[in-house]
Amino acid sequence: MSWNLTSSVAPVSRLWRTLAFRLTAGYALAGLFLVFLATASLYLLTVAEMERSTRLFIDDKLHVLRTMLRERPSDGDALREEVELESAARRYEQFYIRLLDEQNEPLLTTPGMAEQLDLEQLATQTGIRPGRTVRMKGRHGQAFRVTTATAPVGSPPTQTDTIQVAIDVSQQEEFLQRYRLWFFGILLSTFAIFPLVGYQIARHGIRPVEDMAATARRISSTNLRERILPDGYPFELASLASTFNAMLDRLEDSFERISRFSADIAHDLRTPVNNIRGEAEVGLARARTTTEYRDVIESCLEEAVRLSDLIGNLLFLARAESPLAHLRREPVDVVELLGGMREYYEASAAEAGISLTTNASPAPVIAELDRTLVQRAVSNLVSNAVAHTLPGGSVVLAANAEPSAVRIEVSDTGVGIPPEALPRVFDRFFRLDTSRSQASGGTGLGLAIVQSIMLLHGGKVEIASQLGQGTRVTLHMPIAEQGHAAAVPDHHMTKT
Amino acid sequence: MRILVIEDEAKTAKFLKKGLNESGFAVEVSGDGLDGLHLALEMEFDLVILDVMIPSLDGWQVLTRLRQAGRRTPVLFLTARDAVHERVRGLELGADDYLVKPFAFSEVLARVRSLLRRAPQRPQEIIRMADLEIDLLRQRVTRAGQRLDLTFKEFLLLSLLAHHAGEVLSRTLIAEAVWDMNFDSDTNVVDVNVRRLRSKVDDPFPEKLIHTVRGAGYVMESD
Repeated sequence: MSWNLTSSVAPVSRLWRTLAFRLTAGYALAGLFLVFLATASLYLLTVAEMERSTRLFIDDKLHVLRTMLRERPSDGDALREEVELESAARRYEQFYIRLLDEQNEPLLTTPGMAEQLDLEQLATQTGIRPGRTVRMKGRHGQAFRVTTATAPVGSPPTQTDTIQVAIDVSQQEEFLQRYRLWFFGILLSTFAIFPLVGYQIARHGIRPVEDMAATARRISSTNLRERILPDGYPFELASLASTFNAMLDRLEDSFERISRFSADIAHDLRTPVNNIRGEAEVGLARARTTTEYRDVIESCLEEAVRLSDLIGNLLFLARAESPLAHLRREPVDVVELLGGMREYYEASAAEAGISLTTNASPAPVIAELDRTLVQRAVSNLVSNAVAHTLPGGSVVLAANAEPSAVRIEVSDTGVGIPPEALPRVFDRFFRLDTSRSQASGGTGLGLAIVQSIMLLHGGKVEIASQLGQGTRVTLHMPIAEQGHAAAVPDHHMTKT
Repeated sequence: MRILVIEDEAKTAKFLKKGLNESGFAVEVSGDGLDGLHLALEMEFDLVILDVMIPSLDGWQVLTRLRQAGRRTPVLFLTARDAVHERVRGLELGADDYLVKPFAFSEVLARVRSLLRRAPQRPQEIIRMADLEIDLLRQRVTRAGQRLDLTFKEFLLLSLLAHHAGEVLSRTLIAEAVWDMNFDSDTNVVDVNVRRLRSKVDDPFPEKLIHTVRGAGYVMESD
């Protein structure tokens, strides 16, 4: 039989893992418990109330009889009326009274009492605990409440009589029985309805989650366009949906950048390799003069250098992203660094007919920076500025010390960057003008490198540009800085 | 001068041997760590060029054992990774210099020469080449008796080339030595500066002293 057991347990545990089942079970149990509590407490209250009114009725009767026996023991008519007639006038909840003298001889008895009750039994059952109401069955199975009490006769008392009172409560019992039937009926229907309703509610509540799951299942690296439509969801789930969508936006964006990046790497590696291969093949195809061979080898060398530079830049970027990357910080005078940069580019700027000036505070601006990396970042910016400024234009290098940061600014009066290209200029291999940049030897990695150098310093880079007016790139680096661990990719694009 | 090259990549070993031979060095090549260490301990070398990734014993171990055996032979490390900690580790273990692959042969030659230049050279006061005369102390340059008007950086550039007459200097090395740019910067800048220097030093005269070596850099020599 063990297989029977396991086969019946497994589906339950599997069911328990579904949210709908748990919610349904929760609703049903809570509902059943509440209905049970309400009905049961009402029932108990009713029972208690009925018992109390019976008890009061009996006490009232006893009180009347005792008073009569004490005050007017000889008024037999009044007693008879009280014992024999009043009961006979009642149609419901009939009661019976028997008055006994000290020798237990009956003095007065409500007519028909002996037919309804076994009087011997009454005497023994109530005799044990006088004054207490006890339950008793009548001769026809009716429910009775009976009690026995003593009553002193005359004032001062001459003797003690015994009063036996019995009240027929079978109507109450019938009422309570009907009540119990209703009670079980209500519980039973609750038991049937609550799970059904609860299941409906749970299903309805869970459906949006299932929709989301279905959308998530459809998403893969090749299909990142799926989105959850946030309309029609309850507030809590709508925020989950929009969070989910935002995550997908970021993922799609990264995937796009990565795939574009891979395609660009492949292209940029292929070009020089292709040149080397082609030139070597053609060179070897037939015998040539030394000069011709020399020319081929030199050209191959140039391409190899280009490849090597590209690999060097890619390695730099990869390393800068590694969590192991760390800076060699030393006190650097930024003003002096910019001065050196101006000297380095002076000749190039002069040849291009551009004025290259530094506009820094006369006092040294000293910060703990990685000199080589900052040089490299600034050099990339100046190189870009000089390359994209027309003769007669100017390039200005500026440095500022703020209380907590150093700011280096490279601004030019060059051709500018179209607004739609601005958000992408920090992407690897992004080139404004593919053909020209490649001819001039740019790898399209310059600004990406600038950005990663700023991130390593815990700083950021901002670019502002207007087409035909010029471009301004600002580097911000915090002076007191624990490390690059807290660095977050954060570059802002603004238009001026 | 004898150089031991421990490098398992055959093509790299081959061009190093050829290039160094042609520059006047006697070269032994070993493609294996244990074998290389054995050679280094058995024979006398003036310099060891050591690759990190080699079979049987890696470069670190070869270097450690060499130093443990008490050999002070200068070691030039070749590494494919230029992570800072690798460089630091190499230098801590007693390497004298390092080069990151891919490297230019002219760079190898420059490092080898500087490592082998044991005794500090007597500072020259005047460098002469053909009819060019560079007075290092007074920072004056004359050619064919004419005084040349050079900026300070042009003077530094000319002195550098003249000091290494006959050696090919890469653009990166020039940028580093003259402008203190210690990275692969925009090397067009070096070309522009050399062009301007030439316009003053070479253009007015029949004999050209500064030569371009395509794909490699610049060399100064008199035919």
